[in-house]
Amino acid sequence: MADRKGKAKAIALVSGGLDSTLAVALVKRQGIEVKAVNFYTGFCITETQRRKGGRSDGTVPRNEALRAASDLEVDIEYVDLSDSGYLDLIVAPRYGYGANANPCVDCRIFMMARAREIMEREGADFVFTGEVLGQRPKSQRRDTLRLIERESGLTGRLLRPLSAKLLEPTIPECEGLVDRNRLEAIRGRSRRRQMELAAELGIADWPQPAGGCCYLTDEAFARKFFDILDAREGAGEERHITREDIVLLSTGRHFRLSPRAKLVVGRNEVENALLENYAAGRARLEARGVMGPVALVEGEPTWEERALASRVVARYGKGRDRPQVEVEWREDGEVEILAVAPEQDEALVESLRI
Amino acid sequence: MSVPATLPAPDRTIDTSGTLCPQPIVETAKAVRGMGEGAVLCVIATDPGIALDMPMWCRATRNEHIATFRQGGAWRSYVRKGRR
Repeated sequence: MADRKGKAKAIALVSGGLDSTLAVALVKRQGIEVKAVNFYTGFCITETQRRKGGRSDGTVPRNEALRAASDLEVDIEYVDLSDSGYLDLIVAPRYGYGANANPCVDCRIFMMARAREIMEREGADFVFTGEVLGQRPKSQRRDTLRLIERESGLTGRLLRPLSAKLLEPTIPECEGLVDRNRLEAIRGRSRRRQMELAAELGIADWPQPAGGCCYLTDEAFARKFFDILDAREGAGEERHITREDIVLLSTGRHFRLSPRAKLVVGRNEVENALLENYAAGRARLEARGVMGPVALVEGEPTWEERALASRVVARYGKGRDRPQVEVEWREDGEVEILAVAPEQDEALVESLRI
Repeated sequence: MSVPATLPAPDRTIDTSGTLCPQPIVETAKAVRGMGEGAVLCVIATDPGIALDMPMWCRATRNEHIATFRQGGAWRSYVRKGRR
């Protein structure tokens, strides 16, 4: 820990949203040296949007964590969590899921434990976040905040500056490194006090809340996420997910052909190009002679399922109104052509959609 | 962003082509850590986000952002390590 006579140092978990930006400003104005940390999980919606070339209007979304660190002039470090340890956690969370595939409590414990390691490495005194008591139904309840603190090994050293006055004093507050009186007592989902505080602290630039930045909280993504796990379990495999799965889950239209086979169809040029990169180990489908999407089939489809996948792919191309379209299958260096009628049965297609 | 008329000769160049945000910045941070004060790093990237990210990262970490510009299919970003 830092020399008590020296300047205190803290590790901030920063997403770049208003709450974490305010938390950094509140701690920094007390003369405490702040190092920001941003965790990359692979599930950030904005990051994925950037990876696909930006928004539909051609603009590229900012990296808000970088923007916040830049505005507040604090050092920032990216930490990549998107490895197997994190993926194992989201498949089997000890504290369960929220409304969708979001294991927020386990995720927070995982992140805080990594933040504790960084705190120790940096010789910092404490870790802090922009969490607000009662703002989220599960992960920001009083008992859960305590649980996260304890399970991450940060007991007494995890400060929540926006709600600090409503929580037990932490060690840095008791030691006088942090003036508790200059922290906040914000509770709940209203952002009124945060807006006032932003004006008081001269913070004018922050992203509008967009209902969360994490794909795991998204209902459609969660359906696809659990579909993969269930399909693997059904095939006698362990429930598991890979980095490659995560990229594909946020790309294209997904159709479950059978417990053994799944079809992913690109929705635009960027997604088609992205799917090309993941063709190894899968069958690659594309209509011949007419413009159409790139699609991938995972698993072991039967002959009937191959014909069905071809009809669905044909339906999303320019040949959808033709009586017949040739669909090319490429797999393990082999090429096969299936001539099919584009699928016109809307209800059937919807019933396959994951 | 056009190519600046003059650019310092880089002390080190890293090529992050093919990687996406936040990897170019992660690689930049690693490279700058191993360089001396005043040394110049050139970062090559294909992620267009670098044009937004690099100036912000430099400001946050007190390094000097010299320039970021597109050259052919890639972006080049020049950074001078600041005083610690």
